Amino acid sequence: MAKLIIDDLHLSYGSTEILKGITATFAQGEIVALLGRSGSGKTTLLRSIAGLEEPKKGVISIGDQPVFDAAAGLNVPSEKRGLGLVFQSYALWPHKTVFENVAYGLRLRNVPKAELQQRVAAVLDGVGLGHLGDRYPHQMSGGQQQRVALARALVYNPPVILLDEPLSNLDAKLREEARIWIRTLIKRMNLTAVFVTHDQVEAMAIADRIVLLDGGRIVQAGTPEQLYTEPVSLFASEFMGVNNQIKSRVQDKRGGYARIELSGHPLWGKDRAGKGVSEEATGVIRLEQVEVVDGEGENRVPAELETSVYLGSHWEHVFRCGDQTLRAFGRPLPAGTHWLHLPPEQLWVF
Amino acid sequence: MNRATRIAVIVAMAIAVLAPIGLVVYQSFLDGPFFQPKTAFTLSAYEFVLDDEDFFDALYNSAIIALGMTAIAVPVGALLAFLMTRTDLPGRRWIEPVILVPMFVSSVVLAFGFVVSLGPAGFVTLWFKGVFGFVPWYLYSKWMLIVIAGLTHVPHVFLYTSSALRSLGSDVEEAARMTGAGPLRTAMTVSLPMVMPNILYAAVLVFFLGFELFGLPLVLGDPEGILVLATYLYKLTNKLGTPSYQLMAVVVVAIICIALPLVALQRFLLRAANRYVSVKGKASAQKPVSIGVWRWPAAAMITGWLLFTVVVPISGLVLRAFVSSWGEGVNLLDVLTLAHFRELMEFPNLTRGIVNTLLIASVGGALSVGVYTMLNLAAHRWQSGWTRLMDYLVLLPRAMPGLVAGLAIFWVFLFTPFLSPLRQTMIAIWVAYTLVWLAYGMRLVSGALLQIGPELEEAGRIVGASPGRVSRDLTIPLVKVGLFSSWLLIFVTFMREYSTGVYLLAPGTEVIGSLLVSLWGTGAVDLVTALSTVNIAMIGGGLLLMSLFGKRSHG
Repeated sequence: MAKLIIDDLHLSYGSTEILKGITATFAQGEIVALLGRSGSGKTTLLRSIAGLEEPKKGVISIGDQPVFDAAAGLNVPSEKRGLGLVFQSYALWPHKTVFENVAYGLRLRNVPKAELQQRVAAVLDGVGLGHLGDRYPHQMSGGQQQRVALARALVYNPPVILLDEPLSNLDAKLREEARIWIRTLIKRMNLTAVFVTHDQVEAMAIADRIVLLDGGRIVQAGTPEQLYTEPVSLFASEFMGVNNQIKSRVQDKRGGYARIELSGHPLWGKDRAGKGVSEEATGVIRLEQVEVVDGEGENRVPAELETSVYLGSHWEHVFRCGDQTLRAFGRPLPAGTHWLHLPPEQLWVF
Repeated sequence: MNRATRIAVIVAMAIAVLAPIGLVVYQSFLDGPFFQPKTAFTLSAYEFVLDDEDFFDALYNSAIIALGMTAIAVPVGALLAFLMTRTDLPGRRWIEPVILVPMFVSSVVLAFGFVVSLGPAGFVTLWFKGVFGFVPWYLYSKWMLIVIAGLTHVPHVFLYTSSALRSLGSDVEEAARMTGAGPLRTAMTVSLPMVMPNILYAAVLVFFLGFELFGLPLVLGDPEGILVLATYLYKLTNKLGTPSYQLMAVVVVAIICIALPLVALQRFLLRAANRYVSVKGKASAQKPVSIGVWRWPAAAMITGWLLFTVVVPISGLVLRAFVSSWGEGVNLLDVLTLAHFRELMEFPNLTRGIVNTLLIASVGGALSVGVYTMLNLAAHRWQSGWTRLMDYLVLLPRAMPGLVAGLAIFWVFLFTPFLSPLRQTMIAIWVAYTLVWLAYGMRLVSGALLQIGPELEEAGRIVGASPGRVSRDLTIPLVKVGLFSSWLLIFVTFMREYSTGVYLLAPGTEVIGSLLVSLWGTGAVDLVTALSTVNIAMIGGGLLLMSLFGKRSHG
């Protein structure tokens, strides 16, 4: 069942269009990441759902209830939408204790005292802060503050919880742990969650589904696997992973494949953009798909090893092939020329 | 606050701002007082004023004085700011708080101080004459007025320039040093140009204050008959024997017409200046520039300025309040007395004035901060035509010097039937004070409100609080400290205010400032100095409270 529906949403600041027609559906119990660069409109979209921005066109519905409908002149204020929002800066109220920060939403809903005590304690326990209710936000670490912000957004059981770059203020180690416990917590409570991030690894780790935005439009929406293995555009492929790019022209086309060349060597790859013969095209292949092989063959190119970088679990090699650079992962290699295999089904031609 | 409340608050403010100005403009086109039954529309008042040589004399004097004091205050203030914020000048720490004192003492009180110290029979004059046999200055000349006005407005320039210099990141200076510029060159080519918009703003501010000057020319210009616009207006009451409302209205219109463009220019410059400083680098610990042997002449200059503008007038005034008489050959120890203060207590209107001043500053100041907060909340985080209207409305009272605003409010209370019983109560005074300091107070409170990030309030909306509850539960508690320090500043401001109450002075509405102005006219120097001393002590108390509270003032 669809929990949150966005239909043809447009939003402008003055004459600059931020959202240029966003249509998306979010199912009950689903965790969706809004992924994009800064300026892609992802945060604006989240704030529009929260009721903190006013779009000029489109419809937003939560459950079966429209909360925004530009044509009907409907714009339910934030406080009546009943959503939960975790701010990037956490926005904890510095003059209230942790307990009071969390309890505020329940007080506004006139929850009886005993029940309020019990519910706040339960949600604080849920985020692992049951014993810190008397503290003030400034007495806590960044990671703890983030948990309080989450508890505050969860305590009144919102139908949808929104998270704006929830992990960006944590340091790297903490962020990896937080990814896992946030996903576990949201799944355990069977909540519908929408979160904004610019980090594709974070999006893939937490989300069931990713909506990739660029320039106020949806570029691609799907499961993390779909976005990683079947990007629909050069932008999507570049955003989701680390790639080699081969600038060339389309030489030939046959059965869904297109042929390009790298310093005179022919390379077949999946035709992903339908470019015609002799049009300029870019071949894209993920670093981990490039294999170092023993000798010549189909879809193989010779390349000079330029340098190698040790990354702990593996080596990253940088090869030179004509005027272009290719990178690949692998074991340590001697200097000199090596043959590289670029499998046709892993090479995408855009 | 919901939309309807916001609009209601803004409309109420529009009425409060526009009614007095509208009444003045209306009155200026009548041939008699507006409350008389038989009046007709006419331009005769304009003709009379524009025919009056004294008016043009006053206009000319105002322009000359404003220009002259700007020419003095800006270089001195900017230099002072640079020396205090950027160099290793000896004794910076103890000089700095004293620099702002002239801003907090009412200018009539300072003027009295100059009279008793540097006037023809003043303490310093007589001492100088005794030592050197002659006196090279004459206090009541126009030049002396310009110098005094200029030097007492140095703090305004200092304040704006030094805060800009402080917020300027030292990295931009270090970058200049790294590329090979020496300290002096860095100051001239990097630091100074970057704070230029702020200096320019301060210059326009001082020029504008020059046009509004009332206390200094009232006291120092009077003996030689030097009139400026504000004192021309004040004297107009007596000029024709009967109060000629229409003429006063015309002068007020003239003053507003001069002030309004200047206020608009200030607003424009302030925005430009802020935009400039926001391009600053990272503010970090700054290493003072060593100015070598120049430290001593620089220190001497600052000490000289402090002596002239703070120490001499105030110590003279306080001394005069404690002596029975003063003249050539009088031994100080023989004439020390507390008689003036005892005398003060014998006048019920003077004691009432002291109590009223305390009340208006404390209770009235708190109420005013409440009003300013309401107005700010009405426009808080709301972009619309209404808030822009409010932005412009705030500027209007700013274009009315206290004397003028007091007169306009006086007329409003005379004119409006349900207000007229309140005319001779402190309520009229409070309304006038609140209106005169509207722009200042609004800025203080909005400064406090801007300290809290928008997401703290958005978080409140998200968890289910209405806009009103967000204001009550989150915004107000968060700005409590800021509101308290705003109140302290308003407290000191209301304490030293003198011109606004002049036309509202009546039994029951006495405040120290307006009493001083009227007492000076009667020549009661003993009482004036005693009352001034009381005023200085009260302001000193306020400043002490402020420094205990640990909040820097930004006037």
